[in-house]
Amino acid sequence: MDLFSPANKPEIRIQELTGERIRFILTNTDLSMANALRRIMISEVATIAIDMVQFDLNTSVLADEFIAHRLGLIPLDSTEADKIKYPRDCNCSGACKECSVELNLHVKCTEEDTTKDVTSKDLVSHDPRFTPITEGPKDAGILIAKLRKGQEIKVKCIAKKGVAKEHAKWSPCAAVAFEYDPFNKLRHTHYWIEEDEKKEWPQSKNANDDFPPLDDEIFDFTAKPNRFYFEIETIGSMKPEDIVMNAFKKLLEKISSIQMGLHSNDVPINGREPTRDVF
Amino acid sequence: MDCSDNTDNNSNNGNPEENSDFEISDILNFYTEKGSVTDPQSMTFSISGEEHTLGNALRYIIIQHPEVEYCGYSIPHPSEDKLNIRIQTTENTTAIDAMRKGLEDLKSLCAKISETFYKANRDFDEKNNIS
Ligand SMILES: [Zn+2]
Repeated sequence: MDLFSPANKPEIRIQELTGERIRFILTNTDLSMANALRRIMISEVATIAIDMVQFDLNTSVLADEFIAHRLGLIPLDSTEADKIKYPRDCNCSGACKECSVELNLHVKCTEEDTTKDVTSKDLVSHDPRFTPITEGPKDAGILIAKLRKGQEIKVKCIAKKGVAKEHAKWSPCAAVAFEYDPFNKLRHTHYWIEEDEKKEWPQSKNANDDFPPLDDEIFDFTAKPNRFYFEIETIGSMKPEDIVMNAFKKLLEKISSIQMGLHSNDVPINGREPTRDVF
Repeated sequence: MDCSDNTDNNSNNGNPEENSDFEISDILNFYTEKGSVTDPQSMTFSISGEEHTLGNALRYIIIQHPEVEYCGYSIPHPSEDKLNIRIQTTENTTAIDAMRKGLEDLKSLCAKISETFYKANRDFDEKNNIS
């Protein structure tokens, strides 16, 4: 089979694109390819998130670990995440400007009889490229903790680049919806029913963009899925179209690194020592 | 089909002196399983740090090659960060060449879809007057 013949030319149709959501249909490609794209978007697109928290002061009712966890999950603007190094690739021993971003938070409640909200807006970033995201001036920010009079939180946060494979806080996606064959013509799924499948199982919205089966359609057991419906919802740290583009970039990087490994290893047939000086 | 070579997942756990392939894996992410180099037509490759994402896509691309008789992948154990890909070919080529071709094809397919997405995105922006 020729992967690049006109019949196999992959096509993409974007149906919806907003600041935090994209819907598109990918056609004329294999399930394995579409699934690779889905998996990379969920777990291997790099973003920036708080990874280390130093507590100078915490007199709130919440434990240090609890607050540290909440800080980690706050989305930071990651549109320029590729400008920063992974900590493991950096020459420094701990954290430097090339591989991390420092954010500080210092809030004290001084008012009587009211609780003070500590939110993501109280985080002060040392690098203007990587700040907690906000949805306009009306956005109240993400609630981290609540303080009563006299209570105080003072922390130093170190944000680092990472992927969601390691911790879900680094995922740029809130959700990735993936569907093919909404009419179940391929019979990849089996609907449990009481009486009538059509009545009991509502159609997905992607059914409007697919081709309904004829009433007397014969089951084609050689058919393969080739129309994939994607919907990606971001957490706000990255534009949805950038997530898709970065996913492709990541996949290409993966292949290149294997090609490099294959090349430098060059199969040690007959006990020949593999060449190591390539790196 | 040649089944004489030892592609058992635990084949490297015995004599430490036989573990030379595994030292390589400390610096490289790609190596061949011990014993799978006796027959160039049937080999098992081991890639560390990869999983179904790459395994399934690569397997699909490699089986498109007409000279490839068998290609399958497995993740031997979830707590081991490794992916095994088995390739068996006809006499006309070698497993390593099939792997090379597969990687090259997957790369161009990926680049192609990426380009398609880029264009679709640009056209969408133009149509909706987003600068
Ligand atoms: Zn550093």
